[in-house]
Amino acid sequence: MDIAAVPAWLNEHGIRWVKTEGVSPDGLVVGKHLSRAKFEHALPLGNAITDLALGYDVGGTPYLAWWDAWRADALGDIHQRPDLNTLVVAPDRPGTANVLCDFVDREGVPIPSCPRGVLTHVVDQLTALGFAAKAAFEIEAMIFTDSLGPARRRHFRGLDPMSTGVPIGYLHHNSRQQLAFVDEVLMRLEGIGIPVEGWHDEAAPAQFEINLDPADPLTACDHVVRAKQVMREVAMDQGHVVTFMAKPSEEYGNGLHVHHSLTRDGEPVFYAADGTMSDTTRHWLGGLMRSAGAATSFFCPNINSYRRMVGFAAAPTVASWGEDNKSAALRVLSESPKAARIEYRVAGGDANPYLVLAVALASGIAGLGAFAQLPDPITVSGWGLPPEGYPHLPSSITRAADALEADRGLASVMGEDFVRFWINTRRWEWLMFHTSGGDPTATAVTDWELDRYFELI
Amino acid sequence: MPVENGNRPASIVETEADPTPIVLIVAATLRRAERSPKLAALLEKASGNVALRSTVDPQAATIRFQRGRVRVERGVAPDTHVTIATDLNRMNDEDPPKPKVSGAAAHLRLALIAGKVLDPPTGTWQEAATDFWAHVSRHPASPTGLRIVCLDDRSELTLGATPASYEIHGTAHRLTALFSGNTVFGEELLAGHLYGVGSLQHTAELTGRSLAYMMGR
Repeated sequence: MDIAAVPAWLNEHGIRWVKTEGVSPDGLVVGKHLSRAKFEHALPLGNAITDLALGYDVGGTPYLAWWDAWRADALGDIHQRPDLNTLVVAPDRPGTANVLCDFVDREGVPIPSCPRGVLTHVVDQLTALGFAAKAAFEIEAMIFTDSLGPARRRHFRGLDPMSTGVPIGYLHHNSRQQLAFVDEVLMRLEGIGIPVEGWHDEAAPAQFEINLDPADPLTACDHVVRAKQVMREVAMDQGHVVTFMAKPSEEYGNGLHVHHSLTRDGEPVFYAADGTMSDTTRHWLGGLMRSAGAATSFFCPNINSYRRMVGFAAAPTVASWGEDNKSAALRVLSESPKAARIEYRVAGGDANPYLVLAVALASGIAGLGAFAQLPDPITVSGWGLPPEGYPHLPSSITRAADALEADRGLASVMGEDFVRFWINTRRWEWLMFHTSGGDPTATAVTDWELDRYFELI
Repeated sequence: MPVENGNRPASIVETEADPTPIVLIVAATLRRAERSPKLAALLEKASGNVALRSTVDPQAATIRFQRGRVRVERGVAPDTHVTIATDLNRMNDEDPPKPKVSGAAAHLRLALIAGKVLDPPTGTWQEAATDFWAHVSRHPASPTGLRIVCLDDRSELTLGATPASYEIHGTAHRLTALFSGNTVFGEELLAGHLYGVGSLQHTAELTGRSLAYMMGR
């Protein structure tokens, strides 16, 4: 939408308030509620907001162990530049509009730590190479009948799942129990133009999965952010709690699988027409394999994320690929021109979708540039494999940060400043866990993790 | 077997893979003890396992003295001979709580050695500050000059370029604790134990550098 068209759109929908929505590196949606007049006055740069919006950890402690070049010497403001193409009427609040924003400085220059900006930067490089991408996410979450206040007071333990406690997926007995919640979610998503392919009960108690339609990369991620936000809001409105935490209990965890496909001149790149993979696909996939360890830092961003990364529990544990192999990190589907795609299965439900897709695409771009060699696929189970000959994915937040630091390909595509910032934030998260009450010897999910991640991530 | 740690001379102190912060801090403290010939000799000869445990949170580390090799691991190992329990957050107070030591009766020599190597000599605050500055000034984002003011006697030291772009003020005790790698600058600032004059950027950089120094990185 052009700026000139904004007043008419606001009039048409009777908008009096606009909620600005920026997404922090941890995936938290942050912004302001602006009067219509203030919103219009602030265009095109958008409203000012403290640079701390990108400078807090998920527990609310400001990062105070390094300083990013874009920050002012003392506290300063940055801006939330609205992407006017994302203006929608709030599905539950007539008279209010929501708009997604990028974080920019006073000159309108993108802030390197803005996840939406990082994805845009990566997609621009992909476009320059002559490719177009599409992506689709599978959002897993868990819904409990308890309301938020009591759940908080119990540190999110002992909650009642909105399903049986039997770990079987696809049970309509369970989906019937979740219907009132999901129906409201689907209605609101439809209202803000987010198409859904389908949904179903998933394997863990309380768990369900919503599959969004494929879209261009930025739109696909915008839809994930908004869908998660809608789920939180509906849960609150109905007196329930929902979580996207990677591993809130000892049952199956929440994933955020992402499918991506490429076209060049309208032709599907990953389609193996005669059963033979093209060189482009081999180098792209080789890049994904080469950076799989480093990319884990984005797919598994939190202390809790690594509890999900255990064998035979749905999440892949080895840097691996295979044709239609769901135990591999990368499931390749190359046999149909309409559905040729790669599914990256490592990300947890706690990952930031912009960064998940950005690192997947960046890995491929780096692979193309380096003519990355593709190792053999696995045709066996990806779980229970020995360490020799099968590179295991990092098993902790620090090891993943080390892997990212050692990877030069990703930083060159995603941005050196951003990757440095991200590594710092992950090491900070490690430090916070150990020095603010987290127990590194605990074999099960701790109160520290539940208090920090259950509600917000 | 001696372990090379960057540019440092060979050390007999090593850590577990993927160490926790307390493991790194204990290992860094033991490596500082190695600089003293007397303490290095004690480290070389010691044998037995000593755990250091926080009384206020789950942080803990076990030191395995293995006659010529010292290994630091997370947690309190089941084969620990001596356990030292203390409030790790208050170890550098002017009046720190007395640690509770168990197992010392049966392993007195080990307990005494642990007590010494875990509290290596720090020198004066000026000496410690000079060592700290050598670590900090290597990083381009650090202040180009640091002025330090001791509030006990108003003595001063300026390191690096003048006029200094950052100042730290505090008592000799607090300055020594910071510059010896025993405290973190930002935490000391928030607690009101030290004062800083300069930009938030330099405050953050000095905090990060003091954290790295504390963990031997």
